Amino acid sequence: MKCEMCHQVEAETVVHKTIEGEILELFVCQECARRESRRDVPHPPLPHDNGEDGVSAVPLMGMILDAAFEIVGKSINREETACPVCGISRGEYRKRSRLGCPACYEAFSKDLEAAISDLHRATQHTGKTPEKAKAAWQRQQLLNALDDAVKGQRYEEAIILRDQLGKLGGDESAKGRLAP
Amino acid sequence: MRMTPDVDASARRTKTVSAGDIAMSCRVRLARNLSDERFPDWATECDRERVFAKVRAALETEKTGATLEPVASFDAQHLEMLREAHLISKDLLEHAAGGGIARLEKSQVCMMVNEEDHLRIQGFSFGLDMQTAWQRADQLDTLLERQLNYAWSPRFGYLTACPSNVGTGLRASAMVHLLGLRLLGELEAVVRGLERMRLLVRGIGGEGSEAAGQIYQISNMDALGVSEETIVQRVARISGEVVRQEHNARVRLVQEMPLVLMDCLARSLSVLQNARLLSTVEALEFLSAMRLGAALGFFTRLKVFDIDKLILLMQPGHMQQGMKTSLMSEERDEVRAGFLSRKLAHVKLKG
Repeated sequence: MKCEMCHQVEAETVVHKTIEGEILELFVCQECARRESRRDVPHPPLPHDNGEDGVSAVPLMGMILDAAFEIVGKSINREETACPVCGISRGEYRKRSRLGCPACYEAFSKDLEAAISDLHRATQHTGKTPEKAKAAWQRQQLLNALDDAVKGQRYEEAIILRDQLGKLGGDESAKGRLAP
Repeated sequence: MRMTPDVDASARRTKTVSAGDIAMSCRVRLARNLSDERFPDWATECDRERVFAKVRAALETEKTGATLEPVASFDAQHLEMLREAHLISKDLLEHAAGGGIARLEKSQVCMMVNEEDHLRIQGFSFGLDMQTAWQRADQLDTLLERQLNYAWSPRFGYLTACPSNVGTGLRASAMVHLLGLRLLGELEAVVRGLERMRLLVRGIGGEGSEAAGQIYQISNMDALGVSEETIVQRVARISGEVVRQEHNARVRLVQEMPLVLMDCLARSLSVLQNARLLSTVEALEFLSAMRLGAALGFFTRLKVFDIDKLILLMQPGHMQQGMKTSLMSEERDEVRAGFLSRKLAHVKLKG
């Protein structure tokens, strides 16, 4: 698998990073691992770093890096949630390099976007379309949108969605979602 | 005084190498999964059995002519033979519970169930006739799609257990024999060039295997963002270019390094005719040289097809099947050496 920090080269090692009190395991390349280990060693004070006004080159760079890592860390924490369908966590699928079920593509979409783009240099399917699967997917999307509309009490939108579902045919599940 | 080989005589007796002598076979594999099931790696035995039952029912309903058999119903030797013929993978054997094999021998299609993905549909063909291999796999896929709910999304296409297969789920691969380029020391440059064009180059056994006998698989890296036809045409076209380079390398070998070539062929024949113990890998190395010699017409009464048959028959599963007994590793080496010695006893190097 690709390095989870730079997404450029193959991951070769594991580093552990504490983010908001939680220890995360990241699969990274040697270069990112070295960079991380350097970040863990406190910098010796520079001659012009008086430690009072705090405006020196090294702490400023550290702040930028910390901010960047916090953003990555937050994103990682979000992905740590398990797939709602199969229950596989992000850590589990990374260890085995295999997803748990088709719904994992939705559950870990942030992670997978980058990985898929690295692997294929594309993120949009342009090949064969199985008609049955396409119809099932459209139905599911409409059902989700219908649920949202009902929950949000947007009844006019819900009626349109119900009609669209009706046109797809073959499934009665939309009827119970919107009582006339 | 050192003898200088007669270059012109070598060149004169060299027969024209056909593309089929270099491109051994090709395969198009489609990875498919069912939408409401866990992928095999994370599935329970019960889940896998359910997938097996759904696929079996779909094959029967569509009257495909293929019967899905559980992996457990095959004996170990038979499975090994199927693996040696590249019809099934090692992965399938490791996932025995719920694993299945369906073959349509007439149409050269073999499907694995519950391997890395729920379905691995493989179409095969000769040489670089990848279009036929694709059509064979696609035909079965289209029939099954009418019965099964495939996991598919408009964004990522066919959803697979490993994101490296997502999209078309298609891997088109050509098996090519590149000994000429290896002997000229040009193979590494060709492999680097292929990798720059985003093609994978792997050994005969596929992922993670060594290129024993200088037999390689060339396949596509990208499965998403391109159509199936484009992938198939591209792999066939570039593999065809590699075949042309190998052909040129063979011509140059004959013209520029005849002594090295003849020495390689003579040694290989001699070992295969006289050795008392031969491991599979060792035998494959010598058979690879014999294959090159046969393609160039340097041996009497020996065709490339004969060598391809020997490459298959000398492997452990096929050999034990031939002997109708199971053998220990060293016994196999002895039997293999005897078998090859007998089969090649009549062969002579021309000139």
